[in-house]
Amino acid sequence: MIVMTQITLSKRINELLVLAVLDSGAAHGYQIALSVEERTAGAFSFQHGTLYPILHRLEAEGRVRGEWHGVGRRRKTYEITDAGRADLASGAAELERQFRALLGLLRGTHAA
Amino acid sequence: MRLAPRYRLDLVEEVDADVRAMQAEMERRGFSPAEARRGAIRRLVPTGEVIQRLQERHAPPLRRWLRAEGRGDRVTRLGIGAAALLGGAVGVIATARPALSGTAMVLSWAIVIVFALLVANLAWVASRLWLHGDLRAWQHQRLWARHAGLVVTAVALGALGASWEGYLGLAGNGHTDSPVPLAWETAGTMAYFAATGLAAATFGLFGWLSIAPRLIADEEIERRIADFFARRRSAPTLRD
Repeated sequence: MIVMTQITLSKRINELLVLAVLDSGAAHGYQIALSVEERTAGAFSFQHGTLYPILHRLEAEGRVRGEWHGVGRRRKTYEITDAGRADLASGAAELERQFRALLGLLRGTHAA
Repeated sequence: MRLAPRYRLDLVEEVDADVRAMQAEMERRGFSPAEARRGAIRRLVPTGEVIQRLQERHAPPLRRWLRAEGRGDRVTRLGIGAAALLGGAVGVIATARPALSGTAMVLSWAIVIVFALLVANLAWVASRLWLHGDLRAWQHQRLWARHAGLVVTAVALGALGASWEGYLGLAGNGHTDSPVPLAWETAGTMAYFAATGLAAATFGLFGWLSIAPRLIADEEIERRIADFFARRRSAPTLRD
């Protein structure tokens, strides 16, 4: 049975979007934001700095690793960790199962 | 933003660097500088609810736990009150001297109250630093001014008590029914006042000294944040 509120679902999708972008390589925050927009053809986008709480949470939980570069004008780069990759794989599979069930219901067919 | 200075500095530097880089990237893609800047700010600069989420994310662990329990502010107030009461009780026990009477007793109690206020002030600073995570420079200065005033008051009360007892001894108005010779009793009471006043002052100074490293570190970061904004007068709305 799927028990998921709207808030936790969107939070989970946001996390997976960030992890999916970082799975392709390390990136700065702005690159993550632009990449999500591009790779989802504008279906998903981060506005008003919503990216940062997600990145900082993922970093605190060890799913991404943040690293500062430069002296004076510092910049932060993020890269996915092994824990993040594992989470991405399991999260994608879980979302796929849930959306298949949802779409099956919406289209009047049985879910796989 | 009510964030500890180190998180505030990290956040403003991270967002500023990202906004500039995104603006450059969007200009490269054909947007006008104004459009590119607006687009970058709209996407990346945290506002309202996002700032609140960042504050929660970077709040000290104790604060996060208390918030989760739903009793953060009440615990802070109770903690400071309890610390002051405990300080007062310790002061009463430490300064209990039944032979005192009249003016000397009033001065003795005044030292106890000053001691309790020193404890409360230190508890307040500690709660701002380790519970809220954010003590701004102006709050720091105000609390230090209050603390220094209390330290000076403790010393002054000790000196006043010692002088008063000395005066009474010299004037022969001491406790003449005491079996102890008057000079010794006068010297003892003078020493008692000087010691309690100095003890309260020393406690206050060492208490402040114990939190000084964190205050100095925070002040240094606050200075870097101020420098950051001074260098980027046209930076997006990341000020307080």
